[in-house]
Amino acid sequence: MKAFANQNARSVEEAVTLAQQSLQGGQSVSFVGGGTDLLQLMKDRVVNRPGSELPDVLVNLKTVGGLDQVTPSAQGGATIGGMITLDALSQNALVRDRFRVLAEAAESVASPQIRKAGTLAGNVCQRPWCWYFRNGFQCYKAGGSVCYSVRGENQLHAIFGGGPSYIVNPSDVAPALVALDASFRVVGPEGERTLSAADFFVLPRQDAEHENVLADDEVLASVELPAPGSGMRSAFHKEMDREAWTHALASAAVVLDMDGGVVRSARIVLGGVAPIPWRVPEAEALLAGNRVTPELARAVGAAAVAGARAMSKNAYKIPLARSVVERTVLTLATSA
Amino acid sequence: MSAATEIVRLTVNGDRQEVGVPTHFTLLETLRYALGLTGSKQGCDKGDCGACTVILDGEPTLSCITPVWEAEGRTVTTVEGLASREAPHPLQDAFDLNGAAQCGFCTPGILCSAAALLERTGDPTREQIKEALAGNLCRCTGYTKIYDAVEAAAAAMQNGASVGGASG
Amino acid sequence: MSNNGRKIKSDWNLIGTPMRKVEGLDKSTGRALYTDDLVFPGMLHGKILRSPHPHARIVSIDTSSAEALDGVHGVVTGQDMPTTYGIIPWTPDEYPLCVDRVRYVGDGVAAVAAVDEDTALRALELIEVEYEELPAFFDPFEALEADGSTPYVHEPKKADWNGNVTKKVHLEFGEVDELMDGSDAVVEGEYFFEGSTHTAIEPHCAIGLWQAGGGFQRQDGESSGKLTVWSATQVPHYLHRELARVLEVDQAHVRVLQPLVGGAFGGKSEPFDLEFCVAKLSMITGRPVKILYTREEVFYAHRGRHPFHMKYRTGATAAGKLTSVDAEIVLDGGAYASFGLVTTYYAGQLLCAPYEMPAYRFDSTRVYTNKPACGPKRGHGSVQPRFAFEVQIDKLSERLDLDPIEFRRLNFIGSNTRTINELRVTSNGFMECLESVERESAWKDRFRKLPFGCGLGVAGSTYITGTNYPIYPNDMPQSGVQMQVDRSGRVAVFSGASEIGQGCDSMVAYIAAEELGVPLDYVRVLRGDTDFTPVDLGAYSSRVTFMVGNAAIDAARKLRGMVQEAVAEEWDVKPGEVLLAGGLALWAPDTERQMHVKEAFNLAEAKFGTLGSTGSYNTPKDVHGEYRGATIGASPAYSFTAHVAEVEVDVETGIVDVKKIWVAHDCGRALNPVLVEGQMEGSAYMGFGEALMEEQVFKDAEHGRAGLHDAPSLLDYRIPTSLDTPELQSLIVESIDPEGPYGAKEAGEGPLHPSIPAIANAIYDAVGVRMDRLPFSPPNVWRALEAAREADTLRKPILNPGAGAPTSTPELVPGD
Repeated sequence: MKAFANQNARSVEEAVTLAQQSLQGGQSVSFVGGGTDLLQLMKDRVVNRPGSELPDVLVNLKTVGGLDQVTPSAQGGATIGGMITLDALSQNALVRDRFRVLAEAAESVASPQIRKAGTLAGNVCQRPWCWYFRNGFQCYKAGGSVCYSVRGENQLHAIFGGGPSYIVNPSDVAPALVALDASFRVVGPEGERTLSAADFFVLPRQDAEHENVLADDEVLASVELPAPGSGMRSAFHKEMDREAWTHALASAAVVLDMDGGVVRSARIVLGGVAPIPWRVPEAEALLAGNRVTPELARAVGAAAVAGARAMSKNAYKIPLARSVVERTVLTLATSA
Repeated sequence: MSAATEIVRLTVNGDRQEVGVPTHFTLLETLRYALGLTGSKQGCDKGDCGACTVILDGEPTLSCITPVWEAEGRTVTTVEGLASREAPHPLQDAFDLNGAAQCGFCTPGILCSAAALLERTGDPTREQIKEALAGNLCRCTGYTKIYDAVEAAAAAMQNGASVGGASG
Repeated sequence: MSNNGRKIKSDWNLIGTPMRKVEGLDKSTGRALYTDDLVFPGMLHGKILRSPHPHARIVSIDTSSAEALDGVHGVVTGQDMPTTYGIIPWTPDEYPLCVDRVRYVGDGVAAVAAVDEDTALRALELIEVEYEELPAFFDPFEALEADGSTPYVHEPKKADWNGNVTKKVHLEFGEVDELMDGSDAVVEGEYFFEGSTHTAIEPHCAIGLWQAGGGFQRQDGESSGKLTVWSATQVPHYLHRELARVLEVDQAHVRVLQPLVGGAFGGKSEPFDLEFCVAKLSMITGRPVKILYTREEVFYAHRGRHPFHMKYRTGATAAGKLTSVDAEIVLDGGAYASFGLVTTYYAGQLLCAPYEMPAYRFDSTRVYTNKPACGPKRGHGSVQPRFAFEVQIDKLSERLDLDPIEFRRLNFIGSNTRTINELRVTSNGFMECLESVERESAWKDRFRKLPFGCGLGVAGSTYITGTNYPIYPNDMPQSGVQMQVDRSGRVAVFSGASEIGQGCDSMVAYIAAEELGVPLDYVRVLRGDTDFTPVDLGAYSSRVTFMVGNAAIDAARKLRGMVQEAVAEEWDVKPGEVLLAGGLALWAPDTERQMHVKEAFNLAEAKFGTLGSTGSYNTPKDVHGEYRGATIGASPAYSFTAHVAEVEVDVETGIVDVKKIWVAHDCGRALNPVLVEGQMEGSAYMGFGEALMEEQVFKDAEHGRAGLHDAPSLLDYRIPTSLDTPELQSLIVESIDPEGPYGAKEAGEGPLHPSIPAIANAIYDAVGVRMDRLPFSPPNVWRALEAAREADTLRKPILNPGAGAPTSTPELVPGD
């Protein structure tokens, strides 16, 4: 692995300052949390950020105090620090109780060891796991101008929102956060800004090199979850071709606001099928004001994939996505 | 260009260590190269196989993708630290008795994952064992004998078999 | 004593009982040393520069900048070792490093030794190689049709073969066409078995140490040196020979040591570039040099299962007797021959049991392509045709309205017989295997009767227990063991067998303890060093228990005879009345008369002098036909296996869930049932992985950089985790082979074979869809389901067509 220096940050602001100092000194820099993604990238000698060298300096965010906490808000929502591990997140009582979709998403990530080390922010910001990108191809994601999956091995690539790059967002927690209508607090040299989870991720047609709006010297510090309504229930389900340590072939994060047996409103976000967490409003609309029956769930599944476009080798993802939506909605709505 | 080094203080298998290593060393490199603890294995060097799993403050940890600074001030138990002076850890004995280690290369990592599980859950179900070992690939056994061994060790520990080892 | 209180069920005290492994606690405590755990003073770290092109001429290599880099001690290229090698003596087609041509992405072109890995990696970046790219072959059929307008992968081996052919085999037994034409039913099928790779968790690693001059004076007075290589190999003897030949060092001055090996499965069964490179780099630098493959390099080193394109025609009578089998097979071999000559034969030769075939023809062609070389993976050459053939049998059974287990019984070849290709079969427990899985899986109540989406499938197989002929022709024993006993009662066993996790060090210890009556912990196994252990040819073809076991018995019984004689003399009884058991010498007529084995050994030493013995085993050489190729596939004994797999198929998504596999295996005798079960479970697991998820696929010219592996990591190359692996139930069958040690045969490879066709047949039972192409991954299964939906054939198959049975009869399903 390439040699690098380590700088422990004591606060998010200090982390940003340390990063700036390194950048101004001509050194490339990366923030690191659990490091499970970054160290893989560095061992593979894949650039962490397009156009940049392998980092000379890693700024350690895990040393920032309090960034691993779940803090309930007065209104019933919660603020979750970006450095909470996926394991802690999945076991947090408040999260399990009020934001189950997020707990279930966190516990479906990778492997037990990776969940112990990997963080919420790191999972949201991980780079694509496209096998071209990870194996040194100069694709869009590596600053090049071609997506090799288009004519190549695209079994795991996008059926929604692709072009010019067809990577999929690999995160499990990201669809859950979008489904929960979370806000992201981002800290940078100019101070902090808050944006909705949905606005955090960018499609390749907006920016082919990056998966999100973070600048090199910005940190995803925490996420804020709005208070759930009294009838809210949520669930996450993920289909894989191996039952651990793989990314979703298709996943669904579903949040239903129920009034007795009737759905007031729904948010459904797919993972593993698009370059960003992929919300399916047409499917959501079918649910509003209705009681969930097997037939309706089936229609919701069908609506969710109505806009999907298969590549040469990933058509199987369409029924997979349809099925995961149908089953998650049905189980969630009809469970006691 | 020689790499920058730093002094890391950590407790490994009960020994307080102060070790100077390049700042980019992983915990696995520190254990194997700087401390001579070769029990933890490098199978993929990328966090994909689990052979490098050690116990860091009670949690199974992939030492090959853990920067050494993560271990600063913390307690590490490797496969070499599971046994007491008097006897192997019940898991180690059970792995031998039940044929759970064939080539043995994944064994140190699996033992660390299993030992951490038994610390949390004294009497795990087979499903819990499978979940706990999902990040440790074994290519020899088909896992069956490993489950048998973990169950046997759990039973032995419930019946009072002593767990020595530096982690206590 | 370590028989764990288990009731002794045989004439032996230890054999047949569960026992610990001699290195078991070393492995579970972290004391066990593997090659990468070894460190020597002044050791350098090596790295190999690999070709980025699938096919290219090397125009020039400039290593000067790399050599000038601080910390670099040596650089070698192909010119430094311009001798070809290959595991099969007739097909040496590899150089340790490429001399003038690279043939796959990953072919080695130069190697560096430096103070540390990072420096070695930097040095690789400084080596300038000028390539002239050549058109590359990726598809075996295109490679076969090549006309020479662009360079072949190798020079033609025969005048009428193009240079992309490694080997062609055509063999025919009986009246194939006549019997096929006269069959009541003929099933034709095309099958594709995607390649897979071993993925032992330990990457290949080797250390070279050259000690110049000093004490090694050749007869001609010239000073020589001594070369020592530690390697994670499963064939130290072949490595020993090839190192000496390629590096031009007297074989007597080459020493190969084999530390414990962290899994192999056939993936370490021939010399690899790193072994030559560490040796040569040490000769140049005068320092020990270690090379450890990255996981990516392991994927490119490969030598795994060949992709097979197979066509089968299988005929049977209305009564369900096989009539004729006709096979056409193309093997995609990759860039080098490896074991390919043998693979090409095995593709056909190993299919002729456990069913009687009145006629059989196969046409098998191995083709070179510009991809990493394929070789032997667990169940070498026979897993792929077995998949196709057992699915063919399932199709035939259905066509004839026969239960597929019944069909297999009807065609049982029997024991003490010859196959259609004239291989001698001795013990055969296949019928008992079938009975076991039929009973344990509640087959009769559940086959074709589970609800739609759930299914059971059966398959059978056979495998060799070693090969009757060694890789290089010679009349010497295949295995040798040396034993000595000392005054403490201890037994030292010097064994050249390759411990790769299967337990062969323990196996020789069990035999020594059994025969000499000492406690197991009195036995020391000294192993893995060509300087002091007798030759064993290696851990491949499931030969070790049979051959090394017999050699160990031979050695032990010689010693036992001396001990019996000495004790008999002391007691004034007949030697045959002296038993050695349980740490004692006993007089059989009155076992109260006894002494500690230590005293018995001392009496023997006093009588005979220092006590040592050698034992050897050689295979029968006259048990095959007279045709060319008849020796390939000939084995002293064959194992037999039957599996039943239970699956659940999600018809919406194509996801297959294998619930359970019942694994019945005739291993002859289980010397230690725990280890036998471990081999059965590990085999069944590995077959399950190949069935459901494993694919060794390379990108072709259209898919980005041609020749690149799709998934060279343990994330992207899916092997099953604990959560994936189905429940595996081992059912040991013991046929007691007349020539095996205590009747033992093999257990390490046979039980892999039926997993794949049993799962394919179970998928059919579940949803009526045939999977003739591996793997049964979500995309492939979903495509097959879609095709069936369109053809309106997606339904539960029925056992008795015409009887108007319902598509499913869930009321007959026994409750869970």
